[in-house]
Amino acid sequence: MKNTVNIKTGIIGLFFVVAFLMIPNSSNAQATETAETVFIKVEVDGLSCPFCAYGLEKKIKKIETAKDIKIELEEGELTFNVKNSHQPTKDELTSIVKDAGFTPKEIHFSKIAFKEKTND
Amino acid sequence: MLLNLNMKKILFVLFSITFGTGVYAQGPPIFTETPILLGLDGGGIRTFGRFIVKENATVYVQPVGIPYNLGSKTQIGIIGRFININPNQIQSVSGFGDLTVFAKQQLYQKDGKGKTFRIIVKLNQVFPTGKTSNTPSIGSGSWQSQLSLITGYVTLKYGIYGQVGYNVTSNDLTDNLIYNFAFVYPLLPQKYPPNQINLNIGFNGNYKTTIKGNSLFLSSGVQWIVSKTTLFETGMQFPLIEEVTDARKTKYTFTLGTRILIF
Repeated sequence: MKNTVNIKTGIIGLFFVVAFLMIPNSSNAQATETAETVFIKVEVDGLSCPFCAYGLEKKIKKIETAKDIKIELEEGELTFNVKNSHQPTKDELTSIVKDAGFTPKEIHFSKIAFKEKTND
Repeated sequence: MLLNLNMKKILFVLFSITFGTGVYAQGPPIFTETPILLGLDGGGIRTFGRFIVKENATVYVQPVGIPYNLGSKTQIGIIGRFININPNQIQSVSGFGDLTVFAKQQLYQKDGKGKTFRIIVKLNQVFPTGKTSNTPSIGSGSWQSQLSLITGYVTLKYGIYGQVGYNVTSNDLTDNLIYNFAFVYPLLPQKYPPNQINLNIGFNGNYKTTIKGNSLFLSSGVQWIVSKTTLFETGMQFPLIEEVTDARKTKYTFTLGTRILIF
């Protein structure tokens, strides 16, 4: 009887140990992915027409792993993210914006996403 | 004798069409050039149908303009036109009009947050490829070279555009000075991707230096930008000044067209 209780206790304990070990793995994967991502914000002058901003978007899309490309006309900002391994330099970003026909200003790199402007 | 006089009248209509179509006026505004060579302003194929209703004829012009950007500051392009002329009391004729090639080069650019000021120079060359054997003739029969300066101050709230140029012709057609002005006002908040309605209003002038005759039109129109790559537009022009004989006077023009970005 005592042996049966011990075995059951052991199995239940083992179950909890395994469950505990599994849970951090998914959050670890997410944390790893975020750690591999660089968020980029470029202040751009000259963004006066919505459809001419399309050319800028096309040029940014050519950067490998670039995604979540957003252009805020009122703020004059371009934001996107890339994997660490494909982070462009400031000079490269300056060249891309100029080739697109605009004037680059400040360029910011961050490990966390830039806050989006909310419409009140 | 009467036939020759009518032919000259129709040729004059065609001459006005050649520089009245403004198919090379890409991007907002509708009837005037823009100094911005980007996006639908620069790389969009443009076509429209334009009815030019005159006292002695109704003319339909369907130009197709294909620009190509060599970088963000230089552009080349070509324009072909289909023309149908329906003169009063004479059988109508149709065909392809004169071919035009053009080149644009940006001279100056000053950008600010949500705004830009730019100046470009444009060279336009018309080749007399349209048929002149018909009555009335589809082509102008004239080599025409035009050099113009185009400027614009564009913000997210409005755009102001201006153009002045001189056109040199051959084959006894008159040289002319062109002068255009436009104001564009977006109705909706600007956002990207775009979904916008632009109101256009402006003036389009043409002073024929050889015969010293001036034409000035009031232009107005609406543009609907439906996506990053497509817009639709419509507009009308009414004469304010037209120093021509009564038979050649314009009642109005009506335009309906689209621009599609493929490059």
